[in-house]
Amino acid sequence: MNTMEPAAPAPAARFPGWLRIAVIGRNPKRTAIRALVLAVFCFVFFKFFIFKFIVLPVRIEGYSMFPTYHDWGINFVYRLSYRHSQPQRGDVVGIRMAGPSVMLMKRIVGMPGETVAFEHGRLIVNGEEMPEPYLKHHSPAPFMRPVKLGPDEYYVIGDNRMNSDQGRIDRDRIVGRVVL
Amino acid sequence: MKRAIQIVVALALVGLAVWGWTALHPSTETIIRSRLNDLAKTLSFKSGSGALAQAYNAQKAAEFFTQDVEVDVNLTGFEPISIQGRDEVMGIAMKSRSHLTSLKVEFPDMNVTVDPGGQSAKVNLTGKAIVPGERDISAQEFNFKLKKVDGKWLIYQIETVRTLSFLAADAGICRI
Repeated sequence: MNTMEPAAPAPAARFPGWLRIAVIGRNPKRTAIRALVLAVFCFVFFKFFIFKFIVLPVRIEGYSMFPTYHDWGINFVYRLSYRHSQPQRGDVVGIRMAGPSVMLMKRIVGMPGETVAFEHGRLIVNGEEMPEPYLKHHSPAPFMRPVKLGPDEYYVIGDNRMNSDQGRIDRDRIVGRVVL
Repeated sequence: MKRAIQIVVALALVGLAVWGWTALHPSTETIIRSRLNDLAKTLSFKSGSGALAQAYNAQKAAEFFTQDVEVDVNLTGFEPISIQGRDEVMGIAMKSRSHLTSLKVEFPDMNVTVDPGGQSAKVNLTGKAIVPGERDISAQEFNFKLKKVDGKWLIYQIETVRTLSFLAADAGICRI
């Protein structure tokens, strides 16, 4: 007596009908068109609105913010973060050059009107040492004589004090806070 | 349905007309942007380009500048330098080419301000230089000043802009 192995079920029959309807709908062709339209809409929405006006994706190059942010890491600059408030000390911000296509990523250590100095790597604001809990390593650099900031100026520096540019920036150069 | 199609077609025609008009009658800002993008393309070069091609490109790049162009470079950690004249600028450009196998220059952000007379303009831009094959990019902010000479926009002054206004000498910084 010959025995026959039962034939493998057709791919469609492997899934229950309700699952098929939930995933690809009753009319797969129409579902595909809808999915395509949705994908195009999402692409346009994110590329030309979200990633242009709300959050800017940035790729870090260099070690200025190491070890807080790593070289070649991807982060986001939230453009609306200072819409209703002002930048605060300790915030990591994106600083534009001529525009937001190329930005510097630095931490705010000095607020408008303050006098900022560095002594053997320690931050001195208005003559008093300021704790910097965000620093993972203490370094003996930099050393900087007191600098008086203007009414609209912030002092910024990278977390990698041995290898970071620093300086005063105007408020209008701050694009937003670095998030994620 | 027929009405909707008519509206879509009418909107498309209006869009096409607007695009056609702007393409045929570009604004001064658009002309300057386009000219600077051309300059970026001319300054870029690929590996394997011969000496003749490089000399041709350098000559072509020279056409973007006035004869008495002035370039002031003031970068943190370096002595400020000033370069006078188109020939000197081109000489330095040629020399830098010999040190690199290839280079891609871009001006991703340009803020163009045309003077009221329409004969001169100031452009604040970011210059980005990428050496293909290397990960790091070099970026610097510049102010370009241009003027219209015989109908062409030529650069007569370039100065670097310090994004972080830090004066090493004034602040007495030292790095250990």
